[in-house]
Amino acid sequence: MLGPNGSGKTTTLGMLMGVVNPTSGSFSWFGEAASNHTRKKIGAVLEHPIFYPYLSGQKNLELNAMIKGADPNNIPKVLETVELTSRKDDKYRTYSLGMKQRLAIASALVSDPIILILDEPTNGLDPMGIAEIREIIKKIAADGKTIILASHLLDEVQKVCTHFAVLKRGSLMHIGPVDDVGKGEEVVEVQAYHDDLGVLLQEFLGSGSIKRENGIFQVMMKDGYHSKDLNRFLFDKGIVASHLTTRKKSLEKQFLEILSDTSHKA
Amino acid sequence: MTSYRTFWVICGLYFLTLGFTTASGMEILKWLASKGAEFGASININRIPLYHFPDIWQNLIWISGLFKIVLAVMVVISITNEYQYRTLRQNIIDGLSRWEFLESKILTNVLLSLMSVVMILSIALVTGFIYTPTIEWDYFFVGSEFFLAYFIEVFAFLSYALMLGILVQRSGLTIVLLMLSHMIEAIIKINIFRSSVEDQIGWLKQFFPLESITNLVPLPFARYAFQEIQDYVALGAVAIALVWTVLFNYFAYLKLKKSDI
Repeated sequence: MLGPNGSGKTTTLGMLMGVVNPTSGSFSWFGEAASNHTRKKIGAVLEHPIFYPYLSGQKNLELNAMIKGADPNNIPKVLETVELTSRKDDKYRTYSLGMKQRLAIASALVSDPIILILDEPTNGLDPMGIAEIREIIKKIAADGKTIILASHLLDEVQKVCTHFAVLKRGSLMHIGPVDDVGKGEEVVEVQAYHDDLGVLLQEFLGSGSIKRENGIFQVMMKDGYHSKDLNRFLFDKGIVASHLTTRKKSLEKQFLEILSDTSHKA
Repeated sequence: MTSYRTFWVICGLYFLTLGFTTASGMEILKWLASKGAEFGASININRIPLYHFPDIWQNLIWISGLFKIVLAVMVVISITNEYQYRTLRQNIIDGLSRWEFLESKILTNVLLSLMSVVMILSIALVTGFIYTPTIEWDYFFVGSEFFLAYFIEVFAFLSYALMLGILVQRSGLTIVLLMLSHMIEAIIKINIFRSSVEDQIGWLKQFFPLESITNLVPLPFARYAFQEIQDYVALGAVAIALVWTVLFNYFAYLKLKKSDI
């Protein structure tokens, strides 16, 4: 789940988890109306990790397990997963931010949930902490769990997610598989020693929009046209390209496009 | 909550002061008598049956009623902590229903009220057997219904504190409001029941929430100045206090249910 800061990611998840009352609309979990029982099958951490600061990590997890009706024997296993076993008896308030985030993931895992909801799990961590959390997420996903990840770190989403949705000011802008990013429209970068290259490119039938950046033209290709068609067109005109590459769109680019498209409409 | 150090410290202080105060009545009387002697007044403390069965029930219970504010402050801290640390939010996310959360707090209040009753009952039994010259078993249990009234008194007040905590959500502000509650209610009553209308609608006073809690156990000591006192629990007062108790908890539930946390 992507969106700029304040786009409603946490609010949406809060509604799904019963802490924010929706003003309109409805949703269901696992095909049944949402209740505290459906929440027990979901492991969720929204925004910051929340625990009783004066209790140890172990005690906090015991409380979580009690609420969720989970087997407390899972606790050593999840502590191992997030590598907190050696600090489990220390009070929560003595934990570093990275440890707090990891304890939060442990608490979400303690009931062996079907779905895991993580809201910006790497927020505020150093590069090593980010890498650690990312490894943990991949490890969990490999166990066959569904993970809903809210983030504004696009790189992260592209690396670990299969589907993505984009939110802006509380409305859904886009939804689709991450693999589809980069399909469809193709962007070809072209450069040649020719003064009227820009004008010529507009004559090419496959040209969508053309942008110029640092002396390189970026041609958005229409459907059915590819870089080789552009190359042949230029060759026929007697121009030899000095630079010609096909660029796949990154999620970041698509994300920015989705957001700017809709702001025009709005 | 049981691992929270403040909880144990306040709990300990409460039961210690409660215990010492209620058990030191005779020493206070002796001190008063010695002060009185300095001014030439002689008080024969042995003629004041402070700790004699069955007077002792109402006497001790009225005194301990003054200490319930300590428990109430603890209840406020426990509920506002849940907001401050946002653990209420995480508990709901983890699968607790809002009612279950409130229920756990209400049950804690019941437990604290019961503990207070047990505490006073044991102190009353010990001191009563020490100080009562001759125990008349026929009258032994006269006034023991005050324990039920005491339980309602403490529980009603803790329910009020819990509601206040859920409505205000900030510990400092809630504690100040709690302390000022009696004064605020008194000011409201003074303004409503002006002397011109006092005769007609004065009876409405007993329906005010805090007044109804106070009315459960009437002040007993005037009887030692040869005045008539109410030495029984009025059923009307119990009914009014119970209605308020239900309302306090219901308002707390409504607020909890409707708010985003």
